Amino acid sequence: DKDFEEINQNPNSPETVSSALLLPNVIRSAANEIVGKSWGIGNVVVQYTAKIQFTNEDRYNWGPEGNPYSVFYNALRDVNNMINISGERGQNNYVGAAKVMKSLMYAFMTDAYGDLPYTEATKAKEGVNYPKFDRQEVIYQGILAELAEANQLLGSSSENLEGDILFQGDVMKWRKLANSLRLRALMRLSDRIDPSAAMQAIVSDPVNHPIIGSNADNAALQYLQDVPNQHYLYTTRSGSFDEYRLSTTMEGVLKAYNDPRLYAYAQPTNDSGAGILGDPDDYAGVPNGLADENAYGYSPSGDPNKGGSNYISRVGLLFSCLTCSEHASPVGFQTMLISYSEVQFILAEARERGFISVGDASVYYQNGIRASFNYYESRLRIANLNTLADVIQPGEAYFSQSQVVYEGSQEEKLQKIGMQKWLALFFNGLEGWYDWRRTGIPAIQPGPAAFIATVPVRFMYPTGVQALNRDNYQAAVSVQGEDRITTRVWWDVE
Amino acid sequence: NAQSKTIGGNVTESSGGEPVVGASVLLKGTTRGTVTNMDGNFQLEVDGPESVLVFSYIGFQTLEIQVGNQNVINVSMEYSSEELSEVVVTALGVERETKALGYSVQAVDGDRFTEARETNVINSLSGRVAGVQITNSSSGVGGSARVTIRGESSLNINANQPLFVVDGVPISNSIIGSSGSGNQEVDYGNAAGEINPDDIASVSVLKGPAAAALYGSRAANGAILITTKTGRTKRGLGITINSNTTFDTPLRLPKWQDKYGQGNNGLFSFVDGAGGGLADGVDESWGPQMDQGQLIPQFDSPRDVAGYRGGDLNAPEGSTIQPTPWVSQRDNINDFFQTGVTLSNNVAIAAGSEKSNFRFSWTNLDQKGTIPNTDLKRNTLAFNGMTQITDRLTINTAVNYQRTSSGNRPSISYGTESLMYLWIWYGRQINTKSLRDYWMRGMEGRQQFNYNYNYHDNPYFNVYENTNGQNKDRVFGNVMANYQFTDNLSLMVRTGIDFFNDLRDRKRAFSTMRFPRGSYREDAVFFSERNTDFLLTYSETSKEKFSYTFSLGGNQMIQENRYTQTMAPQLLIPEIYNFTNTAVNLQVNHMVSEKRINSLYGFGQMSYNNILFLDITGRNDWSSTLPINGNSYFYPSATLSGIVSDMISLPEAISFFKLRAAYAEVGNDTDPYSLTNVFNPGIAWGSVQTKSESNRLANAELKPERTGSLEFGTDIRFLKGRLGLDFTYYDNRTRNQIIPIELDIATGYASRIINAGEIQNYGMEIIVNGSPIQRANGLIWNVSANFTRNRSRVLELTEGLDTYSMVGRNGATIQARIGERMGNIYGRGFERVSDPNSEYYGQIIHNTTGTPLTATTLVKQGNYNPDWMLGIQNNFNYKRLTFGFLFDIRYGGIVVSRTKTIGSTSGQLEETLLGRENGYDLSVEGNGIISPGVIRTSDGSFIPNTIKISSRDWHNRYYERSNVEAAMYDASFIKLREVTIGYNLPGGALQKLPFQEARLSLVARNLALWTENPHFDPETMSMSGATLIPGVEDMAFPSTRSIGINLNLKF
Repeated sequence: DKDFEEINQNPNSPETVSSALLLPNVIRSAANEIVGKSWGIGNVVVQYTAKIQFTNEDRYNWGPEGNPYSVFYNALRDVNNMINISGERGQNNYVGAAKVMKSLMYAFMTDAYGDLPYTEATKAKEGVNYPKFDRQEVIYQGILAELAEANQLLGSSSENLEGDILFQGDVMKWRKLANSLRLRALMRLSDRIDPSAAMQAIVSDPVNHPIIGSNADNAALQYLQDVPNQHYLYTTRSGSFDEYRLSTTMEGVLKAYNDPRLYAYAQPTNDSGAGILGDPDDYAGVPNGLADENAYGYSPSGDPNKGGSNYISRVGLLFSCLTCSEHASPVGFQTMLISYSEVQFILAEARERGFISVGDASVYYQNGIRASFNYYESRLRIANLNTLADVIQPGEAYFSQSQVVYEGSQEEKLQKIGMQKWLALFFNGLEGWYDWRRTGIPAIQPGPAAFIATVPVRFMYPTGVQALNRDNYQAAVSVQGEDRITTRVWWDVE
Repeated sequence: NAQSKTIGGNVTESSGGEPVVGASVLLKGTTRGTVTNMDGNFQLEVDGPESVLVFSYIGFQTLEIQVGNQNVINVSMEYSSEELSEVVVTALGVERETKALGYSVQAVDGDRFTEARETNVINSLSGRVAGVQITNSSSGVGGSARVTIRGESSLNINANQPLFVVDGVPISNSIIGSSGSGNQEVDYGNAAGEINPDDIASVSVLKGPAAAALYGSRAANGAILITTKTGRTKRGLGITINSNTTFDTPLRLPKWQDKYGQGNNGLFSFVDGAGGGLADGVDESWGPQMDQGQLIPQFDSPRDVAGYRGGDLNAPEGSTIQPTPWVSQRDNINDFFQTGVTLSNNVAIAAGSEKSNFRFSWTNLDQKGTIPNTDLKRNTLAFNGMTQITDRLTINTAVNYQRTSSGNRPSISYGTESLMYLWIWYGRQINTKSLRDYWMRGMEGRQQFNYNYNYHDNPYFNVYENTNGQNKDRVFGNVMANYQFTDNLSLMVRTGIDFFNDLRDRKRAFSTMRFPRGSYREDAVFFSERNTDFLLTYSETSKEKFSYTFSLGGNQMIQENRYTQTMAPQLLIPEIYNFTNTAVNLQVNHMVSEKRINSLYGFGQMSYNNILFLDITGRNDWSSTLPINGNSYFYPSATLSGIVSDMISLPEAISFFKLRAAYAEVGNDTDPYSLTNVFNPGIAWGSVQTKSESNRLANAELKPERTGSLEFGTDIRFLKGRLGLDFTYYDNRTRNQIIPIELDIATGYASRIINAGEIQNYGMEIIVNGSPIQRANGLIWNVSANFTRNRSRVLELTEGLDTYSMVGRNGATIQARIGERMGNIYGRGFERVSDPNSEYYGQIIHNTTGTPLTATTLVKQGNYNPDWMLGIQNNFNYKRLTFGFLFDIRYGGIVVSRTKTIGSTSGQLEETLLGRENGYDLSVEGNGIISPGVIRTSDGSFIPNTIKISSRDWHNRYYERSNVEAAMYDASFIKLREVTIGYNLPGGALQKLPFQEARLSLVARNLALWTENPHFDPETMSMSGATLIPGVEDMAFPSTRSIGINLNLKF
């Protein structure tokens, strides 16, 4: 019956592939999920934006979150395949890149959910159908170890990284990403574990531990001109884009700081008639957490006849959809995984708190701020929004104003770092929320129609897990605490 | 033949002397025959005095009369007290007397499909056969029907349908999904639904594995055997014309409110339909009260620059919109639907001689849907021929060619491509007619004109520009040779094929919401299945006591599938739908698969004294889809029946009493390529290609599935057959099912294919036939009822798992849990006080601002299967007049409705007037809602809710999208499924006309519906890919009521 065996050979798809064919999809899946979460929840929960329609997210009426869990573990299967396939072939660059992506995804997931399947995850082929949940501490140990390993692996073999849609095969940038992610992770855990030795080891040895050193090193996915690889919001409907508006929290800070990122992050209200660029007065936000009609009918001036979407700023043109604006660009907006700016803020805080002894906190701080402005200027130019790019750089007065200048008590300085980091982390996945949960900067107040009295600090596990891995799920809940959005994850020390 | 002569005569029924119309008169031992006309008369050429005429008619005893010297033979037929002459088609096309069968088979006569007809012929079985559940998909013209027999035995929700067989050869009943690449689903129908009703002679439903055991693998869920018409009983030339015209209207549309128009909090004013005006980006009806004399700028209000409407956003800058009256448009949605017209015309020519006969038929179906610009055309050519080449060799052939085409089939499900999605978000003040002229002035072909530019597509633009077309060519049929070696030994060899090419094209115009630069897509679907089989039969029927038949057969099946999807995701130039007009790289999806099954089987039928019957079968299959060292599987069946009434003497009232029992095993294989994991293609990143390993973990060690079935039944006739009762009890167990069992994706895989699970289905079927009235004056009332009650239980899944999610949609998940029924729907419900000691036990919990809360855990909400089903057919005959009607009743079960959920949040449905009796000002009486239930205070205790919240807020939170409990209706219904009133023209009238017989009928399908919910027909389901999801209404199109006429002429 040899014939039958041939008939049942799948003629459509191969049984093995090279890592070069797996890497693009891993990067794209991870990036799209991160930016999607950023738009859907991240920007809202830390009050960059507020919702005027379908207000559930903004009112903390959150249910079980299917993603990033599902998308990431799905991508981790191919990460695993990359490690296996390239591991056998001695392709260390691919293995290193795979481990960086793996760590990036696990960190993002555990920050969102807490404890997760890790040591026993992605092992169905080996017969592990019900993986146990590991404590977040264990997961982070693994992440830190694998990032360090990736730093060693990357560059230790000579194959070209093909299919690298993130860095176009630049292995050094992968190393920088690995080490920068380590810095982020070490800072995240800093209330639990003293990060000093590990951080110092990185920053004191830039040759062996290169980190992201400029915006050119940013781990940002650059989208393409053509469908279906345009930026995340480009093909959305204008109605969906318009549901998310500038939050009064963000508006208040940007205006109080005279921060020109207002022009990048938001658009003048329709009512102002200002077009794509206006005076600060032409921009207005809406408070977070209002009930449906109030959210949609909100009037910044208090005049009920001047309420509604016309009087509220949309999110910036850089992020805009094709049908939202004639100025929309498919390539201006990138998905940011970690930026130079963020790394500088991490170093500023680390230096300020004495975790590292290299460099000057105020320089890191300044670099972080300027990197953000530079970044937005360059993105706006790429999106052909030169009118906005021309006004995005702040004058020196910006840096000398009391709320920005790097002066004051350590607490005040940390507050300033936190505020600038918050301002720069707009649309950076859920990083703004994760960092807020650690620092409490800025102060976030639940809206008047919020379902619970505190800001959520966690995602609930996906519904499916309860049925498909119930015993382990229950064990995890009994260790970590109830599966609620108010239960703190391990690193989140009260 | 010198002695041949023509015999004439008349057939009447014995009790009243009324003519028997349509009785079969056959020359014994030949295929020559005729039927009696409207007056009971017949004429037939016979060979001589030795010839014997066989008179038969359903419900009467068969009569044999030797011709002798007579030239006129008048007979009087007795109503039959037994079902002696009832013959049904069983597995492999073998005709058997029902008396001899040890299992339940139900036959439906071909006339049932033609008079009051359905475009999807499967729907015509609804309510007619016990144990069979048919569910319509309400997805436009010729949408899919889902058939299950005796419950659902497989955890794979797609594997619960029976096998369809035409003239002994299996045909495809595939559903090929069409979503993806940014497109929503289109229901192109299930393949078996395309069979042409005019060519069906009869349908036999083999309900269990025992009946279908010889079909093996694919008939574990029963088989539906369709026999097409032949020229067999025709002597000379006969022409039949059937013409059917029906008018279709929506059976039930949602009940809309007619008080408030579009907007938010009582406000609305149009500027750009995208938030530029006063709440004009809101696509919900929480706006100003209508019919108050208010003037408001609207999308169809004129601008102060002539020729431009409000919604013409390309109007000269600075032009303003002139306010127009804000009035309700009660029928703005209902009037969009049109009266659909279905024309079906058939011409059939049949001719026969002693040695050969044929039938040729052409049918033209031309349907215009109730949704504008949707249609379905189907031309069917059917040829059936038989010729006796020698005394021993007979050749039969049946070939059907069909061309199905449609300019547009509607997009379904939830999203902008679906019209029902639009309606559920529509504004109650919108004058839909203003949208008919759907281009912006001066931007024809490039920019649609609409009432909203935020979320939606103009409905006319949608149906006229964004079409889902189809052209499908299909051929199915077979060639069969029978060779009679001796009187006892014969050989049949047959080869049959079903193949089709289906080309589906989708056009999306510029400015479509989901495709701002348009798109064009073609899906090319190819399917082919070839079955070649033989059957060697030895039979001994002449013996006094014992008679027997033994057969040995084999079959080879080869199935091939090809699917190519090509998409231009963005067009260069508007209105050119051609791949050369793509603006970017084409996207291609391509899949082929092949599968073979070789089989050998044998069966024996033994009877003793014509009162005891024993059948045994055995079949072995070899499937290419299973591991090479384990691809062979054998399964047996045995059935026994006894005519008790012929063994012992029973009270006179019992005229016939039969008992039967059957046991069968059936094995089953799986889909091709289930043994090894592969890397599937992903969407390219520019020129960078990408792959991803399948998230379904293959299994190299699969074993065949097994279904075991036990069935008992009895058939009792009372009062000389005027009352009949057929009762069946069955218990089926399916084990070792090959299913992709779900995994937590944290394992890296979403599912793994394993042998798992054991599902039990048990239940009863009761068929009652009665003739309460049989008057001498010709008045006859026949009634037949089919009762079905099926229960299922999940006995086993796999180690470590007690829940299996089969499919889900809109928060409703169909789960199999150990110890529970199949078809249970799980979903989130309201958070309720769970402490039975609390005085508030069971009440809905609210947060501190008085908003109802949705629980986060999944709770069983109900089951989509009915508790029982009952079909009641009544037929009245009085002379030339017939009147029949069919009630179809389903009791129990739930349906989860997205129409309810979304229509409540969008303020569209009638009941959303709650809490806004006098507008939106909460300080005014009648406004706002104090949601019934309790508030959970910060310390966890409960107090009654006294907080009033706005109607919109309440509706949005009460009908949370994830809340299945709030979206649920009882799916019980009673449908007046069919009504026919027929009149056979009298012979006198016919003499002046060129035809021998003429029958005119008024026909109606789905005439009336009684059910709990006011918004939609609960007989519905949704579709995801090629999966039909029962129990979930996902913006279903309204089902249709059709009324029309049927004219049947015989020349």
